[in-house]
Amino acid sequence: MLDYLPIAVLIILATGLASLVVILGHLFGPKRYIETKMMPYESGVNPYGPGTRRMTVRYYMVAVLFILFDIEVIFFLPWAVVLRDFIDHSLGLFALIEMFVFIVILLVGYAYAWKKGALEWE
Amino acid sequence: MSESIDLTMTLALLPEILLLVLAGLVLTFDLIWSEDRKRSLGWLTAGGLAVTLVVSMIFARPGEQAIFVWGGMLRYDWLGFTFQMLFLFGAALTALLAMDVKELGSRGEFYILMLVSTIGMSLMVSSADLIMLYLAIETTSIPMYVLAGFFKQDNKSTEAGFKYLLFGAMTSAIMLYGFSLLFGYAGTTDIYNLAFAIQAGAIETIPLMGSLFLVLVGFSFKISAVPFHFWAPDVYEGAPTPIAGFLSTASKAAGFGVLIRFFMAAFPTISTEWSNIIAIVAVATMTLGNFLAITQSNIKRMLAYSSIAHAGYILVGVATATPLGMTSVVFYLIIYLVTNLAAFGIVFTFWRTERSDEIKSYDGFSRRAPGLGLAMMVAFLSLAGMPPFGGFIAKVLVFAAAVNADMVWLAVIGVLNSIIGLYYYLIVLKHVYLYRTDADEKPVPVAVPARIALIILTFGIVLLGVAFAPWFHWSTTAASILF
Repeated sequence: MLDYLPIAVLIILATGLASLVVILGHLFGPKRYIETKMMPYESGVNPYGPGTRRMTVRYYMVAVLFILFDIEVIFFLPWAVVLRDFIDHSLGLFALIEMFVFIVILLVGYAYAWKKGALEWE
Repeated sequence: MSESIDLTMTLALLPEILLLVLAGLVLTFDLIWSEDRKRSLGWLTAGGLAVTLVVSMIFARPGEQAIFVWGGMLRYDWLGFTFQMLFLFGAALTALLAMDVKELGSRGEFYILMLVSTIGMSLMVSSADLIMLYLAIETTSIPMYVLAGFFKQDNKSTEAGFKYLLFGAMTSAIMLYGFSLLFGYAGTTDIYNLAFAIQAGAIETIPLMGSLFLVLVGFSFKISAVPFHFWAPDVYEGAPTPIAGFLSTASKAAGFGVLIRFFMAAFPTISTEWSNIIAIVAVATMTLGNFLAITQSNIKRMLAYSSIAHAGYILVGVATATPLGMTSVVFYLIIYLVTNLAAFGIVFTFWRTERSDEIKSYDGFSRRAPGLGLAMMVAFLSLAGMPPFGGFIAKVLVFAAAVNADMVWLAVIGVLNSIIGLYYYLIVLKHVYLYRTDADEKPVPVAVPARIALIILTFGIVLLGVAFAPWFHWSTTAASILF
């Protein structure tokens, strides 16, 4: 268990220092509450409307579609990296077909989303 | 990449590959077919699953020796294969049962989600690696969350889906923490190498027992064992009935398949310890399930508690940690799948016309639908463990395994529990056979696919109880791979 002592020390130091800084700032810093300071993002885009209003369900469609294509790209990348190794082991054709199978599966999902009207905003 | 892809590796994945193709087909036909033809997707799904089952049985039977495929991610052996065939069978019959209710059977999504979940289960029971296992469990669970909440307009169904999601997410997070601890201490994600690391003393006793508990939480949720059973009654009640049936049989079987593989493979050195823990969980599970089932007035809730109780009986087999015990677990799950699918199928057929799940509304059921009443009697007596039905043999085996492993007290508690169980099953049969109502002449129609499914299941229950040697032999082959 002694191996973990440095981690414990680190945790105590980190929390201690962080709380110390916040407490010191709270005790000695000047407090001026102005409207800009109360915003969620002080130097960002001005928010409008309440933060808890209802969102239209269409955004979820977009999010799901985003995942579909995002995952596609994520899987392309490592595949492209190791493709050379596959070719060296004379498995190049296999790797290529595998990727086509993957794309076909995604395409079916894409066609499904399209046909079901997930791409239409209205 | 030293190993090349050979035929064995492809054969090991054959059921999953065919399932994926089938899911793609269903998805495509869902787009092409018009609304009133969509019902036929059920035939497509059930037929495709039957083809997958037959083709896998002919071509993809594993050899006597278990082998690791796909870089040690999967173990290609009889245990996984047996469970895979069980899931295929269960999914096919669920599709047949659900076909003729418009809001379920005419929606392509229902079949697709079920197929994807079945792929997950198939991978679950054959995975030999922590990462693969976790991925497979999530592949199984996520479609199930959606399916449990499939009736969007029905508050109960939505509640069921949400409750299942929250419980599932929570327990799988805890389980994942257990996995990460095991990996952290042992330095390997391979379930079979974990055992060597533990044997070599890589993990001290306290962290080892701790991670065992954390992993057990995740599995207990899947098999609805006490104290992680709270979701079961609410989810079964709210979810569409065929889904509840699928959850209580295939999903539970997958949980048990993983439980016995994981515990036998990774923790053989501390089998006395976990055997005691599981024995306690088994006693709590069956006692609580049986006692709470007595007071239920909703038949789906009653079946939910009864399925908790059955999880307890099966855990008795797990607790023995002997070859006979593991055989009894596999055998029990085969019989339980057939029996409980029949029970849920009848409940669903009744709900289709009556839109009621109250036990009271079953009054005079045997006069309104003699065939269904008979099937119900067979299914419920089998659940209660009456000869000559399958449930009897299953219970005998489980308790025999407990006696053989010097756990007589466990067998005694199990037998006492079966007697309590008999009571509430007979209460339902009393409503079905003895009570009369004014609507005595109103028949309960059964759609053709559901009729086929129920006939298969009812004959299956009797067949499993009368000619049990081949199934027992099969279970023995499957279980022997664990040792």
